[in-house]
Amino acid sequence: MLQSLIKNVWIPLKPYYTQVYQEIWVGMGLMSVIIYKIRSADKRSKALKASSPAPAHGHH
Amino acid sequence: MMGLPIVIIITMFPSIMFPSPTRLINNRLISIQQWLVQLTSKQMLSIHNQKGQTWALMLMSLILFIGSTNLLGLLPHSFTPTTQLSLNLGMAIPLWAGTVITGFRHKTKASLAHFLPQGTPLPLIPMLIIIETISLFIQPMALAVRLTANITAGHLLIHLIGGATLALMNISTITAMVTFTILVLLTILEFAVALIQAYVFTLLVSLYLHDNT
Repeated sequence: MLQSLIKNVWIPLKPYYTQVYQEIWVGMGLMSVIIYKIRSADKRSKALKASSPAPAHGHH
Repeated sequence: MMGLPIVIIITMFPSIMFPSPTRLINNRLISIQQWLVQLTSKQMLSIHNQKGQTWALMLMSLILFIGSTNLLGLLPHSFTPTTQLSLNLGMAIPLWAGTVITGFRHKTKASLAHFLPQGTPLPLIPMLIIIETISLFIQPMALAVRLTANITAGHLLIHLIGGATLALMNISTITAMVTFTILVLLTILEFAVALIQAYVFTLLVSLYLHDNT
């Protein structure tokens, strides 16, 4: 069933996915790198905030 | 964790409204949609050359998606995915990066030449290159934030003015004026379709400038 669906989507759109949208795939990779950086920075700051229970008011 | 799958289903919902044509002559709904799509695509792709017209499918899908989600968001108590900055950034960044990389790949010298307009005096050149680079990198941010802010602001205004009308219902005469303001605002807001026109048009201009020159 899945294979027949891929046959309905992939076969008609193969030139788009392989040739026309090459640069868009690169752009999606760039976007995923940005998302990964933001998520890891957020996790790091949350872990830092959780591991230091002393309230620090004036840290710059 | 429970909310995430449902928002995917909500985002995919407007595609149900566009059945795909199966026969040579379809029923009225599909014929009307086909005519509208052909009208829009002819208008939009007329300024591109052959290389740019390979993006026709992407641009038409974009305008249909943003238009349908914005219009469905005008119904009361509905959720509009385009009010979330994450979705708009997810649309803007890959498409803008695609146009820039296309320009650099196929016309490297012309793409680099965009950073320096013609006829600038010699001392101003470093400053101008910095300004042009900044204006290039701000393009995806501007695309995403423009769409988010416009749709969110419209929804917020409708909420506030509707709430004010309800609160003023006990005091007459003012209610009539406020209700009329709501009506006019909603009609103007139905130019959310004009906004997606602006979105796709801006994306289109970017594609045109980077790809074809």
